[in-house]
Amino acid sequence: MNTSDLRKTPLNSRHKEIGAKMTEFGGWEMPVSYEGIISEHKYVRDVAGVFDISHMGEFLLEGEDVKTLLQTLMVNDLRLLEPSKGQYSCICYENGTVVDDCIYYEENPTTYRMIVNASNREKDFKWINSHIDNLEVTIKDLTSERSRLAFQGPKTDELLNPLTDIDVSDINRFYFRKCKLDGISIFIARTGYTGEKGFELSASKDNIEDIFNKLLDTEAKPIGLGARDSLRLEACYSLYGHEISDKITPIEANIGWVVKQKDDIDYIGKNILLKQKNEGTSRIIVGLTLKDPGIMRQNYKVFVDGKEIGYLTSGGYSPTLEKSIGLALIQSEYNELEKEVDIQIRKKMKKAEVVSTPFYQNV
Amino acid sequence: MDYNIPKNLKYSPSHEWILIENEEGIIGITDYAQDQLGDIVYVEFPEVGEEFSNGESIAEIESVKAVEEFNIPVSGKIIEINDEINENPELVNESPYEKGWLARIKLANLSELENLLSSENYISQINKELED
Repeated sequence: MNTSDLRKTPLNSRHKEIGAKMTEFGGWEMPVSYEGIISEHKYVRDVAGVFDISHMGEFLLEGEDVKTLLQTLMVNDLRLLEPSKGQYSCICYENGTVVDDCIYYEENPTTYRMIVNASNREKDFKWINSHIDNLEVTIKDLTSERSRLAFQGPKTDELLNPLTDIDVSDINRFYFRKCKLDGISIFIARTGYTGEKGFELSASKDNIEDIFNKLLDTEAKPIGLGARDSLRLEACYSLYGHEISDKITPIEANIGWVVKQKDDIDYIGKNILLKQKNEGTSRIIVGLTLKDPGIMRQNYKVFVDGKEIGYLTSGGYSPTLEKSIGLALIQSEYNELEKEVDIQIRKKMKKAEVVSTPFYQNV
Repeated sequence: MDYNIPKNLKYSPSHEWILIENEEGIIGITDYAQDQLGDIVYVEFPEVGEEFSNGESIAEIESVKAVEEFNIPVSGKIIEINDEINENPELVNESPYEKGWLARIKLANLSELENLLSSENYISQINKELED
């Protein structure tokens, strides 16, 4: 794809100005790294980093029946929500595989803000719209008129508080507030995709460069998609197209906690997902570390005694563990801790073992 | 362009360099190549004594982002590999022409050197790549 065909966030030229290497992701031209993936990764673990996540989709759903609609689309249970709280969920097909994963925030019982994956935004918008039927719900795509940043790392509370008109330490995990950052209206939630403490925020596209610059004026550094991926892999957060997809269910992806019983509510995929949750699945995603030298990557095959038992859904180098880690979808009978498996890396077989997950977590 | 492309080396279009000393050569990847790859975390080396034809992949260079093949710029036999890289793969990023060299080879055919690029020609090639 020619870069001129790619969508650009309002920060595109700013990224290039501060030395970003750019890459294509989900149809967008995004920064992959600024000073280097490993140093950016470590800086988020030690201090704080700012990520442009404006490529992600942002929808606003409003109306009397929004909660009813979402309860039929989501595998998680919206009765666990309350105003000012958000929830992670999967949207599934009838066969239990995944349309997308998302977070939605309850602004009030008739207004929800939803964040979806960049590459699935149009599909999600159509999917949600096609299930409105006679319900009183309107859905707006705010992706272009608003922009989004993640601010992640152990020092984020301390760095953010001098800029905001609220004490952000009062925001609990998965809760959000609307407040001012140096006079600019923002939506800010204590959520993230790194395994560190931190926030995700959304604001008008006209203000996002101001906010980006103000955050970079603190000790925080800009972080690209390269480190975003290595951070999420250490924390074992699923990535659409890798651990979850239209071929893999949330139970197989080992995020069964997100699938709720919801006794009196029918939701799409419920029958098969609850059956899988109760009875188990023939394949499951597990964590692997490579014991031999080398790097595991997506789609590498996993073997036991010469028999193929699965493949890597994600793999890479862990800057924290200083070795290669991965997530693999394997036959469930081989899912035992310390089980030794072989990974085919080009023409060679290398030893790996099943380990407990996540590889790292500090939220 | 801020890349270091020394004049005393020969280059392949796939971003390898070779330093000739008599009938032996030291080979590695260019400053431009290491910058494009980003943080290098592992190199899968060939065995000493293995023989390869020019352009053949002899090693895999793993960066955090991706894996790239390392092609031998001229035909020859591996007579030494840089063991330091096993412990400190970042040397390839930090010092691609000195501490980050990859292998020493015995050339099979000196005339193949004529097919390689001078530093000027290699610089023109990467300028073109950067424009695209």
